[in-house]
Amino acid sequence: MAHAEPAVPAILADVKPAVLPRPALVENHRSFAWITEKICGIVEGKTPVWWWWCFAVACFIACFTVAGISYAVAVGIGVWGHRTPVNWGWPIVNFVFWIGIGHAGTLISAILCLLRQKWRTSINRAAEAMTIFAVVCAGIFPVFHVGRVWYAWFLFPLPNSNYIWPQFRSPLEWDVFAVSTYGTVSVLFWYVGMIPDLATLRDRFASVGKKFRARLYGFFAMGWRGSARGWSNYEMAYLILAGIATPLVLSVHTIVSFDFAVSLIPGWHTTIFPPYFVAGAIFSGFGMVLTLMLPLRAIYKLEDLITQYHIDCMCKITLATGSMVGYAYAMEFFIAWYSANPYEGFTFINRAFGPYAWAYWIMISCNVITPQLFWFKSVRRNTTLVWVLSLFVNLGMWFERFVIICTSLTRDFLPSSWGYFSPTVVDIFTFFGTFGVFSVLFLLFIRFLPVMAIAELKAVTPQADPHAGAGHS
Amino acid sequence: MKRPIVHPSPSERELTGPRYWRSLDELADAPGFRAQLAREFPDGAATIDGVDRRQFLKIMAASFALGGVGLAGCRRPETNILPFSRSVEGVIPGLPLYYATALPLRRGAIPLLAETHQGRPTKLEGNPAYAPHGGASSLLAQASVLDLYDPDRATAHTRDGAALTAAAVGDLLAGIGRKYAPERGAGLAFLAGESSSPTRARLVGQLRAQLPNARWAEYEPISEEPPAAAGQAVFHRNVRPRYQFAKARRIVSLDADFFHAESDSLYYAREFAKGRRVSNKDDAMNRLYVAESGLTLTGSMADHRLRLASSHMLALAAALAAKVTGQPAYLAMAAGLDVKPAWIDECAADLAAFKGESLVLAGSHLPAEVHWVTHAINAALGNFGSTIELLEVPASDASSITELAAAIRSGAVQTLVILGGNPAYNAPADLNWSELQKSVPDVVRLGLHPDETGALAGTQLAAAHYLESWGDARTADGTVVPVQPMILPLFGGLTEIEVVARIAGEANPDPYALVYATVTALAGGDPAPAFQRFLHDGLLAGSAYPAVAPDFDDAAIGRAPAALPALSKDHLEVRFVTDHKVDDGRFANNGWLQECPDPITKLSWDNAILVSPRLAQELGIGSTGAVLQIARDETENFVKGKETAPIAELALGDRRIRGPLHIQPGLSNYTLIVPLGYGRTVSGRIGQGAGFNAYPLRESGAPYVATGATLRLTGEQMQIADTQQHWSMEGRDLVREANLDEYREKPDFVTEEGMESETPSLLDGPVGARGGNMTLAQQSTQIPRGNSLYVTPKFDGYHQWGMSIDLNTCIGCNACVVACQAENNIPIVGKDQALRGREMHWIRLDRYYSDGKLDAGAFGGDGNRATPEDPQVSLQPVACMQCELAPCEMVCPVNATVHDEEGLNVMAYNRCIGTRYCANNCPYKVRRFNYFDWNKRHIDNFYLGPLGPNGMPELLKMVKNPEVSVRMRGVMEKCTYCVQRVENGKIQWKVKATREGRPGDVVVPDGTIKTACQQVCPVEAIVFGNILDPQSAVSQAKARAQDYALLGYLNTRPRTTYLAKLRNPNPRMPDYNALPLSRIEHNLKSRPAGFNEGESS
Repeated sequence: MAHAEPAVPAILADVKPAVLPRPALVENHRSFAWITEKICGIVEGKTPVWWWWCFAVACFIACFTVAGISYAVAVGIGVWGHRTPVNWGWPIVNFVFWIGIGHAGTLISAILCLLRQKWRTSINRAAEAMTIFAVVCAGIFPVFHVGRVWYAWFLFPLPNSNYIWPQFRSPLEWDVFAVSTYGTVSVLFWYVGMIPDLATLRDRFASVGKKFRARLYGFFAMGWRGSARGWSNYEMAYLILAGIATPLVLSVHTIVSFDFAVSLIPGWHTTIFPPYFVAGAIFSGFGMVLTLMLPLRAIYKLEDLITQYHIDCMCKITLATGSMVGYAYAMEFFIAWYSANPYEGFTFINRAFGPYAWAYWIMISCNVITPQLFWFKSVRRNTTLVWVLSLFVNLGMWFERFVIICTSLTRDFLPSSWGYFSPTVVDIFTFFGTFGVFSVLFLLFIRFLPVMAIAELKAVTPQADPHAGAGHS
Repeated sequence: MKRPIVHPSPSERELTGPRYWRSLDELADAPGFRAQLAREFPDGAATIDGVDRRQFLKIMAASFALGGVGLAGCRRPETNILPFSRSVEGVIPGLPLYYATALPLRRGAIPLLAETHQGRPTKLEGNPAYAPHGGASSLLAQASVLDLYDPDRATAHTRDGAALTAAAVGDLLAGIGRKYAPERGAGLAFLAGESSSPTRARLVGQLRAQLPNARWAEYEPISEEPPAAAGQAVFHRNVRPRYQFAKARRIVSLDADFFHAESDSLYYAREFAKGRRVSNKDDAMNRLYVAESGLTLTGSMADHRLRLASSHMLALAAALAAKVTGQPAYLAMAAGLDVKPAWIDECAADLAAFKGESLVLAGSHLPAEVHWVTHAINAALGNFGSTIELLEVPASDASSITELAAAIRSGAVQTLVILGGNPAYNAPADLNWSELQKSVPDVVRLGLHPDETGALAGTQLAAAHYLESWGDARTADGTVVPVQPMILPLFGGLTEIEVVARIAGEANPDPYALVYATVTALAGGDPAPAFQRFLHDGLLAGSAYPAVAPDFDDAAIGRAPAALPALSKDHLEVRFVTDHKVDDGRFANNGWLQECPDPITKLSWDNAILVSPRLAQELGIGSTGAVLQIARDETENFVKGKETAPIAELALGDRRIRGPLHIQPGLSNYTLIVPLGYGRTVSGRIGQGAGFNAYPLRESGAPYVATGATLRLTGEQMQIADTQQHWSMEGRDLVREANLDEYREKPDFVTEEGMESETPSLLDGPVGARGGNMTLAQQSTQIPRGNSLYVTPKFDGYHQWGMSIDLNTCIGCNACVVACQAENNIPIVGKDQALRGREMHWIRLDRYYSDGKLDAGAFGGDGNRATPEDPQVSLQPVACMQCELAPCEMVCPVNATVHDEEGLNVMAYNRCIGTRYCANNCPYKVRRFNYFDWNKRHIDNFYLGPLGPNGMPELLKMVKNPEVSVRMRGVMEKCTYCVQRVENGKIQWKVKATREGRPGDVVVPDGTIKTACQQVCPVEAIVFGNILDPQSAVSQAKARAQDYALLGYLNTRPRTTYLAKLRNPNPRMPDYNALPLSRIEHNLKSRPAGFNEGESS
């Protein structure tokens, strides 16, 4: 795309500044064959021992969620720490936490695709997978947190003999549609993007005579032949899905934030919530992408594909969204003071200095202070440090949801009803187990599916550009 | 239809050969044998010989009738003893029947109407025919129906562990009478509780006539001996004062908790409210001075409250007497009293200004001297005959438990019959009753529950609950009321009068006959109609004790100086009080009562030793506040929202008890308040293990107030279920208050303190109307909800329901809480769940303290982190407000909570999936969630779920109101303005109107429908009705200037609004505040200095 040429200062003609080369997205001049071999090799090779270990541990951890939920359904949700006035506790915190993590994937796939940010190609597949698995983990909580899960189908607008419909004014009802739409589109987007790569795997399995696998991958490759017409249709479909998914990135967390913003509880009833939640979600999503991609890069030696440039980009987005979140925190306090509403004012003072001050300051340290370190190149270049900081981001964003939900509810309008919320062991284990669920799914993903978009990666290699980056992009 | 069988005779050939025969009968060819052969079936089967189809059906029908009809009907009394006000044909299955009965209490009774469904009582209401109570009843009366269905009740008569039949019991009792007849009763002793029953009095008289050497003793742990003794001393007659609070404009209470602890507290509360209620600015309002050692309901209502140790009350009374009577002799009695003289002077001056309209009363636990002195004050003020009636009551000649104990010790008692009571648990500690009882060879005990006394008795007889007994009682004013059974005794229990009658050798010991004989004799005239009238009305008109006007003998009063014990941390005063819920322990196994939060401490399931904040500081357990404290009450005793109380050992002499300490504002510095009635060692599943037992500290010499106690911290802690963690209103405008003077100047002071929403006119609303100019009732019935895709219900129906709660008269007695529980099948959750904040009450009483100080001062400054020592108390009943714009409705995703056309916010339990969003979004926090299957599982093992025992005990199912669903786990529930009563009322009115030829008359007259909380309220603080009718009581209440909506600024447009609280302090008193303390806090918080100065012009 030609840039509109601004009036060039005369001095530039004299000093002739060097054109800054764009960083290569695939380093060391790796060939197409190398890329194919590298990524398909992960799927085709023998299952590593570490994978089995990780898978076993993940399955074990996932059992905690299964056990916790079975117990809650069998006995009653009193097994959690909920009480009057804190009627939403950890399950909703966990729901918002996971759904927030699920934001980076589609953001990377859709918005960055539309914005032609080519660095997205090496991370989008894994990020999308992460999104879907995070939505799976998130979906567990709102379903099972209701008192009578066997009637959860009341939430769907099914024609029935009672002629009772859901109540469409409720943000929870909006959630049902927002999250299910988001989940569906994310799966479609992920799958459509994977079709050429599945075909590649099919062909490679067929060539070595592994018929079963060839058939399996072939089934999902939907007869992909790599024809020009196929590519044309594929790219159009991908673009359309990107277009559909883009507003969803914004809408899902906006609607999740409505769960709170539409209510009248001080600390929830805030107009800043939609943008603040979206920024927070992207922040936590990128935190999680970093948490997952950095080990993956190290284990499979993918440094040439996930370059320092990628890490820099992700760190910078984390920095930007983290700062937005910090701004939102400050703005909440400002509005609480500026509105002169004593209830609202108290809620925020209570957040920062009340019985849950510890949670609030964990949140502030992790979400506001941690990302500021990404201003420094030396920090961004230290992958171990970046990984540790990404963990802090995840932790901080969990606490953000905890602070919003629990501190607002524990002390609302009538001091007579104030209480203190403590989770029970069932709360903790059920949440802990979802990391197992997530890990199981993610391990299966890296074992059986191409972790990167092979076809797209090839398109961003230097040799794919015959002009060698001469500015004709 | 029998087919004759012809047995052939032996043939010729048979006869020629060898002859075989089966029996000699056959050989002889006897006619009997022939007959037997003729029968189709052999012996044994012959019993159904001759049954044909018709007869078979007859028999089967009869057995079906017995099996089916008999099962349903076998609980009904077979004799026609219930007075139907209509004929029996009027009984419509599904509709409740009401019978008059009464709850007998230790002195007096509460006349009741029992609602029965298919023969089982489910709900009790005060009998409106008894004017002094006006249809109100008390917390205990409301909960007493649950005791009837207590699965832990005594269910069998036993002797030495073996079950006895009813006949054996009759023989046993008659045998006792016969056995002691020759000795004329020597060796036989009875111990009973006090009773007002005329039948029992008659039978006891008969018993004593027959067995004059038998000893009849009565014991109540809480008695009213001192006032009786004082009456005897100064009036020389056996009189009982009955206070007429409605007539009293100035009231001084010396440690008398007349809203709870005095025997006629229901009447007193009601009468007090009459003098308290202010409906316009010209109304007079009484003024209440209270001097007390603990913080009681009465003290909470005080306009001036003086904290003073109970042992110093005599000195205070004397000081007051000296001022009022002008007799300097009293001054000597008051020497050493540490009270500001101005307090006494101004109080006395105020009393003197209202001669004949004032009232000074002393708690019945105070020594007789105090009562003498108050009598003297009242006499000087001319209050006898106006604000005080003296009722002449029959004197009791029963022995005391001390005398009985002496007799047992001397070996003079061979057989001891204990009727009710629980002396092994609550007798004075110095008697060592358990050992004494064991030393009696034969102990026969009649008890409702297995308990400590029963466990030590050889023979235990199961008593009948009063709802399954025939009996009678007298109310506090002496009116005779019936105790009528609603159901045959569930476990074949006996009544007290039956036992006495059998021992006395009464020819017909049937309790019905006994009561009939007593009452018809009292009533005079034609017995049968009189008795029918008595049962129908629920009282015997004109049977009250006579009011007398005896001369006051001033000379009888001693003037000895009062002993003023110097109290300190090492020399504490202990005040034993009856508990608000379990009374003296008799209601300990009642789950509704155990779970009901104490009105002052808000503790449920436990009692605690109450200590003053000052003493707590000295003991080192006082609140020092959090490091950074932003609310008033982040005390150290709350750990993660659960009150973690230090356990202390309380020593009095060489007796010791252990219990948790609860820091209670408003206590006299060195007085410990110790509620009795807990710590039962032998009780049911509910009562056992709840709280600690304080009786072991109580001696017969000092049963109510003892001094010289010490407290030692043991270093242990325990969690107690405190249902309200925060006592401060935090300067919010929740309970709005003003002094009477301010109210008279600005009747609409509520608008100045708090903010209502400015509801704008909407497209289809009244033109130009702004919500701000409309009354709250108009806002909630005239402004459409508007601008919604949803259809807004019209407000043009016949009824729009609303409620008004008068905070000025609410005394916080908790009766509404349990009445609601009984009416609406609200489950109990147990201590563990209450600790987790999951109690289910649909209506709760918020209790706030205020001390007029700013706030905790989190940022700089000293702040005010201390628990107030001398707070003002503000009470507020909170139930669902039935918001017109209900925040809960719009967030429910499944339409489970919706609005109806009459303004109710209703719950469709079957539709609820339990997202709990509604409860989060309810600003009043009145929604309650079924975290577990409260009804199906047992409170000890909710966490076992399906692995634990399943299902509700059959007995407990019987108490459920069939008109209200029993909710399952996972659904939300809340107050619905008793929608079942509303609908019943509408239907009944429609039926009546149609029958009377007015089919279009569907508007239910005001007052026909009463919610359960309104019905029970002794002070009539709750008014419910149709707010479309401007003449209805609720509309009138809402039209008053001090009507305000709780959190009205949220634009929820609640249908329940409050009438602000008024206080009536005396400007000349030293503790006068120009504004109520909560108001001062509010002003300090919301209007910092100079902030609003520009606006006031």
